[in-house]
Amino acid sequence: MKKIVLSISVLFFINSALTAQTEVTKLPALDKSPMDMSYYPDNYPVLKIKDKAADIPVIRLIYGRPQKAGRVVFGELVEYGVVWRLGANEATEIEFYQTVKFGGKKIPKGRYTLYAIVEQEKWTIILNKDTDIWGSFKYDIKKDIARMEVPVTKTTEITESLSMVFDKTFSGCNLIVAWDTLKVSVPFVF
Amino acid sequence: MKNYTNAGLLFSIFFIVSCGNKTSEQQKSETIAVTDTVKTINHAHNYASNKYSAVDVSPMDMIYYPVEYYKMNVANQITTPLMIRIIYSRPHLNGRVLFKDVLKYDEPWRLGANEATEIQFFREVTIQNKKIKPGRYILYSIPNEKNWVIVLNSNIDTWGLRQDTSKDLFRFNATVTIVDHHTEYFTMIFDESKSGADLVMAWDNFEIRLPIDFSIN
Repeated sequence: MKKIVLSISVLFFINSALTAQTEVTKLPALDKSPMDMSYYPDNYPVLKIKDKAADIPVIRLIYGRPQKAGRVVFGELVEYGVVWRLGANEATEIEFYQTVKFGGKKIPKGRYTLYAIVEQEKWTIILNKDTDIWGSFKYDIKKDIARMEVPVTKTTEITESLSMVFDKTFSGCNLIVAWDTLKVSVPFVF
Repeated sequence: MKNYTNAGLLFSIFFIVSCGNKTSEQQKSETIAVTDTVKTINHAHNYASNKYSAVDVSPMDMIYYPVEYYKMNVANQITTPLMIRIIYSRPHLNGRVLFKDVLKYDEPWRLGANEATEIQFFREVTIQNKKIKPGRYILYSIPNEKNWVIVLNSNIDTWGLRQDTSKDLFRFNATVTIVDHHTEYFTMIFDESKSGADLVMAWDNFEIRLPIDFSIN
């Protein structure tokens, strides 16, 4: 399976490299799953131009937002027990502007990649050091920095596009991840 | 179509003007109203409504030099080290004319939408004889008929509507070409050159180029 995925991705790469060669001036189309950015504090860039923000933010997240589009998301589109990029297109990036605690571990400031392993009762959230990468095709457990298990809750409404937003807590913040009818909260302490 | 644009424009003016001193409750209702306007403007965005975080009308995108570096990384075929990354949002014309309805000569523009456009250099580069140290910066522009000024500024993690010129680092001149094709969504790409890469910015029928030199490495 891994080999198939790898050879498909290599083929895809060769194909896109060839396309790039023949049509240098062709401009890229819009992504089907648009990219987005979330900060903690929430809405930091807007607060900043209103002079209502601290000097620097604490966390920034960059992710692609796939849509449900009538599909069964969890268990089918996102398979149980398989490492998922927690988004679409490029792997999801998280940047810490200061030391934070995740899964009981102190994480130094810097850029990391977030992955998830989705199961019915819990998700495992993975913080990994391999940045600037596409998807989870080359996920390398040796580059893991920390892992954390979080429980899954059901939502009453369907969230059409994968959504991630930071919420203030007593000890730091939670990253709320919502898609379809599921939601998880990932705590960061600082 | 024009009505929609006007409504959107009016609303954004209202939104910008009224950003001043709102409680979070009021802001929440504004967000909802914005989402509604979005729905009216473009039905393709009917998924924009979202309890957690609305989907942007001008989606964010990211470009790397080397082009599609993240795919090279996946395929274990990194032949050139990571040099530059740009994160920007892509507004679209939606029936508007660029220098009539959207931009004005000599007025700063964020080179995108929403958050200020970010450029990150992973190695030292040279632009018009100025050495740029590795790090994160923002870019904005001052468009004109034949020439756009491209400004490199250190005020990162900010929204694009207000530029802090006291944090300008360098101002570069980029030439404008009128091309025979129409680009609906504002687009940035890196085009390889002999000594590095040109940052190409395209919208409507304008193409702006800023050569970046890597030969210092």
